[in-house]
Amino acid sequence: MAVAVPAPRRMRKTLLGAVPMTSPFYALHPVTRLVGLLVLAAVPLFIYMPEANLAFLSLLLVLFVGGRVDLRGLRIYLPLVMTVAFFMFLVVLLSPDYASGYIPIHLGPFTTYYQSLRWTIASYVRIMAMLFATILYFSTNHEREILVALRTLRVPFAVSYIVGLSVRAAGMFMEDFRVIRQAEQARGLDSSSLRLRDRTRLYGMYLVPLFTIALRRAEEISNALAARGYSMSGKVLTGGVRHDFVRARYRLRAIDACLILLMVAGLAVVAYLQVRSGWFGLERSPLLMAWQRHLGGTG
Amino acid sequence: MGAAGRPAVAIAGLSWTYERRSEPALRDVDLTIDQGEFLGVVGPNESGKSTLLYVIQGLIPSNFNGIWRGRVELFGKDTSAMSGLERAAAAGLVFADPEAQFTAMTVEEELVFGLENLGLDHRQIELRLQRVSDLIDLEELYDRSPYDLSGGQKQRVAIACVLAMEPRVLLLDEPTSMIDPRGKKEIFEVLRRLKDTDHTVVVVEHNLEELAALADRVCLVEGGRVRPPLPAGEFFARVDELIEAGLQPPQVAQTFAELARAGLYDGPPPYRFEPAVSAAREVLSHG
Repeated sequence: MAVAVPAPRRMRKTLLGAVPMTSPFYALHPVTRLVGLLVLAAVPLFIYMPEANLAFLSLLLVLFVGGRVDLRGLRIYLPLVMTVAFFMFLVVLLSPDYASGYIPIHLGPFTTYYQSLRWTIASYVRIMAMLFATILYFSTNHEREILVALRTLRVPFAVSYIVGLSVRAAGMFMEDFRVIRQAEQARGLDSSSLRLRDRTRLYGMYLVPLFTIALRRAEEISNALAARGYSMSGKVLTGGVRHDFVRARYRLRAIDACLILLMVAGLAVVAYLQVRSGWFGLERSPLLMAWQRHLGGTG
Repeated sequence: MGAAGRPAVAIAGLSWTYERRSEPALRDVDLTIDQGEFLGVVGPNESGKSTLLYVIQGLIPSNFNGIWRGRVELFGKDTSAMSGLERAAAAGLVFADPEAQFTAMTVEEELVFGLENLGLDHRQIELRLQRVSDLIDLEELYDRSPYDLSGGQKQRVAIACVLAMEPRVLLLDEPTSMIDPRGKKEIFEVLRRLKDTDHTVVVVEHNLEELAALADRVCLVEGGRVRPPLPAGEFFARVDELIEAGLQPPQVAQTFAELARAGLYDGPPPYRFEPAVSAAREVLSHG
């Protein structure tokens, strides 16, 4: 029996993976996407209420799915999510903030306080919201689109170019790190069998070759830029303006303008509500108020 | 004398010592390269071949620290009086490691980068891209990252990036040193096409076999000294001298040198295949 094999989906490489060409994000101008990142990352700054930030995280999840990002890829951020949680809650457990009137919470041998814990929970959810907004952006955009967005926003050419080179350098740094580790493994080093102290020392030793390679690359790129007539001022041979060929490929459309206005307006509303009336403050959180009442405080 | 009559490159009394080095990388170099000439530069490692290209392009001394003496001219103009942009427009340099020269994340952006530096408008850029694509087949690679290409493709892109800027002098530093045999073939095919254009081409290359088929003149660089370039036939006839310098002359030239030593052949050793076939027929007919 013949089995129908589905045609492979055309994927587009992004900074954190690849996304199908059919992703609706690609219908938007890179500037719209960059403004989207700025707005999405800024919104949690004005929201303290954990429920509201959890709702915001749900919205991000919808955008991940709608943007055709493979959610399985998000698993690699789990260690980061856990590590941040571990250290934040460890600090509030071992060294909680205290002031008179704080409600104590006893957890085994440790005593922490409701007010400290409340702030840590709120901060953690805010950080996660900002982190996943950033992951969403880098999962759906390529370096080229970041540069186009920056240049459309009239960021000086040298600055946008340095951003591009930095993004590239980060990738190359990771690639060099992988090569060095593979070379060690090929010579029989099993880092998983090392004690934590030795492993830490090993990671410290990686820095020497990694920085040496990075310095050599920096020199090579500097020579390559000079050989092709690049100057930091962005000056061109004819003395006229620099024509940005790649940027000219993208056109800002009405939908982009509408979305940008909508996003900026949304951010302004959230900021206004919080600054003006503390709409998203911790004191307004139903969950936290219920917890405080449960602990015997005056919710 | 008009610009057309001037040599493309004129180096006089040049010595260059890199910072923190006691020995000069180049010493007392006098070299003239004619317009439209294809010059091969050969020599052992660390002999100063790459430094020679950097000097011609003007990267030395503008981007390097060291002690400079002498004068380098590109089409009659002292390179020390030219801006980086003017030098890039006059002499394009392709580095040995193609990855070391990539500055963008897609092939198209990489190609466009130098053209934007020249101040060309969109229409002119498109024309240049078309021209370079006709010479070096690249269009299907435009959307790909230059880092994801094969060695041969990477070097083709690197050459195309420089060619797109349409410099009158093209300097290639060991363009086939980091690629597989198939990639080497691709690059020599590009060089063959370049030979048919009016570009002045200077190639540093270890593969003398392939270079012999292309170069008008060849010069040997040894210990920082650049020997006067010789016509390819005369250069490759000095088989023993080349072997002594640590080089691998073309196989046919070595074979005929051996035949000459055995008294079976008395002409200058051929260094290209077709003349070698005729010479072999002659040897056999006398045998």
